[in-house]
Amino acid sequence: MVSLSANRSVLAAGARAMMPWLAGIVPFGLAIGFSAAQADIPTLAGWLTGPLIFAGSAQAAAIGMLDAGAAPAVVIAAALIINIRLIFYSAAMARYWRSTPWWWRLVAAYLLIDPSFAVGLDGYGRLDRDRAHAYYLGGAALLWVSWLAAIGAGATAGAVLPAWLHLEFVMPLFLIGEAVPKLARPAQRRAIFAAAAVALLALSAPLQLGIALAIAAGIVAGLTARPDAPARIARPVRRPTEACR
Amino acid sequence: MNAWIVIVAAGLGSYLFRLSMIMLAGRVTTPAYLERAAVFVAPAAFAALAAAGIATACMHLGATQAAAPLAAVAVAVIAVLRTGSSYAAIVAGLPTLWITAALLPS
Repeated sequence: MVSLSANRSVLAAGARAMMPWLAGIVPFGLAIGFSAAQADIPTLAGWLTGPLIFAGSAQAAAIGMLDAGAAPAVVIAAALIINIRLIFYSAAMARYWRSTPWWWRLVAAYLLIDPSFAVGLDGYGRLDRDRAHAYYLGGAALLWVSWLAAIGAGATAGAVLPAWLHLEFVMPLFLIGEAVPKLARPAQRRAIFAAAAVALLALSAPLQLGIALAIAAGIVAGLTARPDAPARIARPVRRPTEACR
Repeated sequence: MNAWIVIVAAGLGSYLFRLSMIMLAGRVTTPAYLERAAVFVAPAAFAALAAAGIATACMHLGATQAAAPLAAVAVAVIAVLRTGSSYAAIVAGLPTLWITAALLPS
């Protein structure tokens, strides 16, 4: 059973649990909006990555690679490589959603992404099944609205703000901010340096294959390193500022 | 035209990933090596996108102006390491870019 009307206060509690994540999500959404406005694609198409892909780093990759003129198949492949983790989130949620109606599974799966996964798991761990559904939906709905609003605000501002602000650098700087703290973990550091090096070396690769190659090289470099101590597999990083990748 | 198709296809694929295990629940398991690989996707993607983005922008700016984003990146990395906050990259890096770009001859 999924009865949401009886669980208004739990819906609100889920939304409140999402609040700390918004601190990381809103800047990322703004940065994606800026890059959508600067990129050589229709700004509306850039904004539509929000409701259609609904995953920040895959959206950033899609917009960046389309702007660079990458071949369509390469862009799609890169976005899907980045989003492979969604299969693990799907596997983790499957046991909670097994006996739910099909419409709930279609909606709940659509909203599944790092922050909603984290808030949802927390709810399913503490609440009875029915209330946990409402908790998940409350958090995920707030996330969805905030994400689309942030991208829209960024895209609107990016189109009118002056060129000397160099808003095209907001996205790379944001990504650097997210990557640098990971340098402390040796296997992650290998992945980061390998990906950056291949991205630079393959800058003029045909079809803009470079970014897809670089991501693959980073993953391989990380996998072949000695594993970082306690592996946190198929779970989003807990730090709320690392949002919506 | 292509951009729209790419975005719709990437969105559809992502949605199928989200639905996959929910609809197949219990019938298949995810392979262990994919779970290990998933840990490295975000850092690899962030590093690749940042490096390619900065390098492409530098090439558009020309030899002297290209020093500005490189200075901004250096300041951003130092700021994140010193403060431990991811935001510091933008808060410190963007003003560095504005100042160095204004000082450098174009």
